[in-house]
Amino acid sequence: MSERADVVPVPEGEYFEGSRFAGLSFILALVGLAGLALSVVGAFVSPHQFSFSWLFAFAFYFTLLAGCFFWIIVHHVTDAEWSVVVRRQLENLAMLLPLMAVFFIPVLLFRHHLYEWTNIAPGHDPVLDSKRAYLNWDFFVVRSIFYFVFFTSAAFLFRRFSVQQDRDGNPAYTLKMRKLAFIALPLFGASLTFGAYDWLLGIDYHWFSTMWGVYIFAGAAGSSMSLLVLVITALRKAGYLQETVTVEHYHIMGKWMLSFTVFWAYIGFSQYMLIWYANMPEETEYFIRRNTESWNALSLFLVIGRFFVPFAILLLRGPKKKPHRLCLIAGWIVFMQLVDIYIVILPALHGAGVLVSVWDFMPLIGIGATLAFFYLRIVGKTSLFPVRDPRVLESLRTTN
Amino acid sequence: MIEGEAVASAEKPLMRVPLVLNKRNFSWVTERIAGVIEANAPRWWWVAFAITSMVAAFGLFCLGYQISTGVGTWGLNHPVGWAWDITNFVFWIGIGHAGTLISAILFLLRQKWRTSINRAAEAMTLFAVICAAIFPGVHVGRVWMAWYLAPLPNNYGIWPNFRSPLLWDVFAVSTYFSVSVLFWYTGLIPDLATLRDRAKTKIKKLLYGIFAVGWRGSNRNWRHYEMAYLLLAGLSTPLVLSVHSVVSFDFATSIIPTWHTTIFPPYFVAGAIFGGFAMVLTLLVPARAIYKLHDIITPQHVDKMAKIILLTGSIVTYAYAMEFFVAWYSGNQYEKFAFYNRIFGPYWWYWWVGMLFCNMLSPQLFWFKACRRNIYIVYFVCMCVNAGMWFERFIIIVGGLHRDFLPSSWGMFYPTWVDIWTFIGTLGIFTSLFLLFIRYLPMIAMSEVKIVLPEANPHHAWPGEHHPVAAGGKERN
Repeated sequence: MSERADVVPVPEGEYFEGSRFAGLSFILALVGLAGLALSVVGAFVSPHQFSFSWLFAFAFYFTLLAGCFFWIIVHHVTDAEWSVVVRRQLENLAMLLPLMAVFFIPVLLFRHHLYEWTNIAPGHDPVLDSKRAYLNWDFFVVRSIFYFVFFTSAAFLFRRFSVQQDRDGNPAYTLKMRKLAFIALPLFGASLTFGAYDWLLGIDYHWFSTMWGVYIFAGAAGSSMSLLVLVITALRKAGYLQETVTVEHYHIMGKWMLSFTVFWAYIGFSQYMLIWYANMPEETEYFIRRNTESWNALSLFLVIGRFFVPFAILLLRGPKKKPHRLCLIAGWIVFMQLVDIYIVILPALHGAGVLVSVWDFMPLIGIGATLAFFYLRIVGKTSLFPVRDPRVLESLRTTN
Repeated sequence: MIEGEAVASAEKPLMRVPLVLNKRNFSWVTERIAGVIEANAPRWWWVAFAITSMVAAFGLFCLGYQISTGVGTWGLNHPVGWAWDITNFVFWIGIGHAGTLISAILFLLRQKWRTSINRAAEAMTLFAVICAAIFPGVHVGRVWMAWYLAPLPNNYGIWPNFRSPLLWDVFAVSTYFSVSVLFWYTGLIPDLATLRDRAKTKIKKLLYGIFAVGWRGSNRNWRHYEMAYLLLAGLSTPLVLSVHSVVSFDFATSIIPTWHTTIFPPYFVAGAIFGGFAMVLTLLVPARAIYKLHDIITPQHVDKMAKIILLTGSIVTYAYAMEFFVAWYSGNQYEKFAFYNRIFGPYWWYWWVGMLFCNMLSPQLFWFKACRRNIYIVYFVCMCVNAGMWFERFIIIVGGLHRDFLPSSWGMFYPTWVDIWTFIGTLGIFTSLFLLFIRYLPMIAMSEVKIVLPEANPHHAWPGEHHPVAAGGKERN
């Protein structure tokens, strides 16, 4: 129990030197601005396509970051040890959620392209009329504000307490964060679920599925763990966290990637199978569109790529303990999350088959580069891991 | 600056509490747990066993009566063709899930606290699955035809319907039972060897010896054991999800309002773990008190189990909420009516008491540490959950059937005495088997508890001691 405490000294904090990466920052800013500027062009040239492309990029990044937020909560409510050394990066990533609120504005502006229900006057569609108490514009905006206020304030507080603890090492912050996590857990569940209903399911206001929130969550949690692997490896590649994050941490992160690969498949399969089996037109329309024309090929690719490929590889112990191999799979999973979100959103626009537009890439690149730019600014402000967390020593000598 | 006192008070809740209290050593663990089996059966055991076995016997009589007379002895009638039989089946199969979660998933998650409770929870799993398996077998009416459910080769001309979720049930439950037995038995082997070595009569030595399959505790034995245990844990983990998912498919593949909804699989799994943990505590809290096992099943263990009940109970609450929300959101008038009927229809109190109070509200007490640490409150909540999960299945099954699409096909379900006593009989079977288990097998995994003792670490030494205590060391107090 205590034998390695003598061997592993209390670590010094590690600091990211932003100046080393000024060039990268500059490029990211440039690419981000260019992407966003071209998106604006797209908004004028092809507003219908642009609005779906933008929502696609927004939902992709939002689910990734909300997933990081989820892992912070999990760390605190389970009083975990292993994740202390990677937690700061989760906190940094979750701090990008306020930016997502800014990137949400175009969704509001282009609502008439995205959400058909905003165009239908009362009295024209009885199904819509029956749910107007929920699907009305004012309430939609209020809910969206609520989600962003919640994510922003909680992410801010988690990082603030954690950074304050770096200074004086007071364990009371750990207890504060735990309390906050307990409060945040049910709110997270509600926000992600209803966010998924409002923003994604709302594209086709006739369709419904009780599993929807869980499905979006499953994809978000698994891909954000993969994103964490990528971020940690990038930092290690830059020379940081060499002694802090060990192969054991990679092993655990790999195991979480495996579990959520399976969980995603389980949820996706259950949702699909039950709708296929019951064969009710009001439910099958969603999958009929995604199982016909070229969408069918993409859907099959999703099933194979998001489940079978990573499952087969992650089942082995070897790849989980080799950071570079794990990174390849992590990158693949993040890419498959992109495909997943694409299949959720774009068939509503191109019902006749997959049609990749140039405008799909502009928001994706614009938002991505901007987020990366701000991430580089955040990451240098504090130590790269919570250096005086009461459990940091246990985390350093994690074995499994 | 923060006061030193404040820091100290914050440090206290962060300290890791030992899994076994009072510095109990290897010898104490063996003596206390093996002692339960080696001592004569106490009087309470005989009294309890007499009662439960009589109840079980009467339950078996009811089954015999039902098989010989026909399913008409149950209260089933148009439109409610499924009622207590499948309610009991789902109830029991759900109870089992906690055992597999503790033994397999918590093992993979390296949760060492599982060692104090896994053995009893796994045994409970097996007994619950036995109780569950009775119902689909007999509810088919002509029980001698139940073998049609087996995956027979087509050249027998039976043609099992592979599209029927009832057939998947047979696969799922039988796989689950087989793997659970193997897992439980594998874990038992080192402990059986301990009992063999301590046995004072030849017959006991022979019997425990046979079941300990030549265990000598050698390095090679342990190596194989640990690999087998890990593999079985890996195999059991998907089973925790699959069994109750398949059970949920029994309902969700249909198009009956309130049955057909996509969230059913994870919702049923969470509900199963929820009900299962309540049952684990229901059994272990008295066992702990009777056999003075407070140093092994500590407040920390109860606290953690209570947290899992809170988590799974909240997931179940989420699922209930999504069902209601989507029933309304879908705009489907049948769904809307069915859920309205659930709350205000003739079975209203099942929902208000069973689902709302027992399943949704009572576990919320576990947000508070004071409640998790108060054994009476814990026991009260567990009892609520036990009852609530039975009510939940009843509401889902009968609630979905008793109001058909045509009002002329509306009806109610009234259980007969055979219905009632068959269920009570399975409670008798379950408790009888559990009583036999604590009499003849170690109810706590001795070898696994020893592994999490500080002495198991070769580098360990208590402060002020020079020599780590070896196995069988003297009692310290």
